[in-house]
Amino acid sequence: MALSRLELIAILGLSALILRALPQLFLVGKKFPEIWDRFLRYLSYALLCGLISITLFMSGARFEAQVAPFRGIALAVTIAVAYKTKSAVTGMLVGTVLVLVASWLRL
Amino acid sequence: MSFAARVGQGMKAAIPVWIAFVPSSMAWGIAAQAHGLTLDEIILMSAWVYSGPAQFAVLMPLAEGKSATTVLIAGFLMNLRFLPMSTALAPFFRGVKRLPLLLASHVVSASSFIVPYLQFQREREASAGCWVADGYGNLGFFLGVGATSFFVWVAGAAAGFGIALGFPSGFEEALKFILPGYFAGLLVAEMKGWTIPLICLASIVTAIPGAMFNPSWGWLASAALIAILAWSFEQWRSRA
Repeated sequence: MALSRLELIAILGLSALILRALPQLFLVGKKFPEIWDRFLRYLSYALLCGLISITLFMSGARFEAQVAPFRGIALAVTIAVAYKTKSAVTGMLVGTVLVLVASWLRL
Repeated sequence: MSFAARVGQGMKAAIPVWIAFVPSSMAWGIAAQAHGLTLDEIILMSAWVYSGPAQFAVLMPLAEGKSATTVLIAGFLMNLRFLPMSTALAPFFRGVKRLPLLLASHVVSASSFIVPYLQFQREREASAGCWVADGYGNLGFFLGVGATSFFVWVAGAAAGFGIALGFPSGFEEALKFILPGYFAGLLVAEMKGWTIPLICLASIVTAIPGAMFNPSWGWLASAALIAILAWSFEQWRSRA
């Protein structure tokens, strides 16, 4: 399927709107089953974490062995700081500074 | 209370959501610029898709020109969580005509869902059994939260693009870390119990062999498999 970026964005937005609007228009008074709600929550957590992993450690089908340790440490520090401070922004800032310093040191 | 007053009430309640949206939308704008998206594409995607996780999910496949099916499936799976959110809100908009509902539903997001939902629940509990949904009033409150948060999101993404342009070379590595770092922090800050951390850890680890096996589908399939396994195990345990 060869679609331009704009066409892809248009289809993505349309699918998001359908998922948002469907219950408002046709499922008033219905209850979403708790077990499916739980499954969708697990699915979104798993997808986000898989995405974080491939964004940081993969380039296509290739594992970025040279930078993965630095990014892995930065991710671990981000997680630890966010957990401790309960602030995603603080965690992200500390992790970003670490990644930046590591990239400068490697040059 | 009038519709306008309810919109104002919603706007006041939305202030924490705006504050949360500023860093996340800017992080997305910065990452999108670093991945080569134009300002038009960033604004269009922020306004039309309006879903942080889905925008994050499709950013890399979109920038790398991967198959359209991968981009669409990744975005669709991420957006599936709108179904339960929208279903939970629907009873509070009883009596509202379909067109306003259709337009308003565009601004349903994780953050703009939870604030009105909790407010409507509180109002229902406070009515001591004689609750009747004030559909248009509730819609006003919802729009006060949702529509203003939507504008903050779109403006933040555009601002992120501008900020990323201002960075000198040598910052690319940091720019690409911002969005995954922010989402990792967000997930951890919200975690309770052991199930979700285990799902996250397993997904992070298995995504790598998954992507090596198939760069387009591998990580999606491994993440879906982890979610199915965790959910099935929990169902089996609750029955046992």
